Amino acid sequence: MELNFIGLVAAITAFLGIWLGHVSVRITERNVRRLWPSITIAITLGIILEIWSLMTDYRLLSTALGILGITILWDAFEFIRQEKRIKKGHAPANPDNPRHARILAEHPSATTLDLLKRDPVGHPVAPNEAITLVTEH
Amino acid sequence: MNTFGLLLGLATLFIIGLGFVWVIRCERHFGYLWWPYVMGFGTLVVLGSLFISSDWGSALLGAFGASLIWGSTELKEQAIRAELGWFPFIREKIQPPLKAIIGKWKAPHL
Repeated sequence: MELNFIGLVAAITAFLGIWLGHVSVRITERNVRRLWPSITIAITLGIILEIWSLMTDYRLLSTALGILGITILWDAFEFIRQEKRIKKGHAPANPDNPRHARILAEHPSATTLDLLKRDPVGHPVAPNEAITLVTEH
Repeated sequence: MNTFGLLLGLATLFIIGLGFVWVIRCERHFGYLWWPYVMGFGTLVVLGSLFISSDWGSALLGAFGASLIWGSTELKEQAIRAELGWFPFIREKIQPPLKAIIGKWKAPHL
């Protein structure tokens, strides 16, 4: 029986695409002063990969390019979602970034703490405890 | 024009979107300690895709398996989000077999 590697290529591309986007959106959003250049780059790169995917006859390459292109297009949208998480305090703000410093000043819920950087405790956690859990080690 | 990659990319986006939903639901009712089972199942699904002769079937199965593996690494953070009140929290969870052993392992997060 002949193995079909399309699924494996799809799996590896999807996993790496999600991982890469997850990490690079967070790092970039944290450090850039303005979001729109990053958003423009992600949209452009995503479209280029999709066009390339449409033009190749090689199915394994079309698979990888198609999936990677769409995940990068989604990342463009994630930049906006990540900034919303910063405003809500669901992701840590970077006080050295002027855009984040402004968010910290304007949004009482924003914080420099990463409230997710701990192990689960198995019960609901009040705001004060949420802070001590990530600050006291 | 070869639309296979583009359509597959859109289908993968939908599969990843489903991941958001099942990670939230599964963590709420079963807890994050199921992660090794989810990761193992995802790996089997990806390996299974090798034996599907249809390109569409193989590709969708592969993307689904990858989203299961990724989701398994998201369960721990989702548990904390629920504890923080960002998502509904249920105390009574259907815990996995070998919970005591799994609890000693460091849950992956990428």
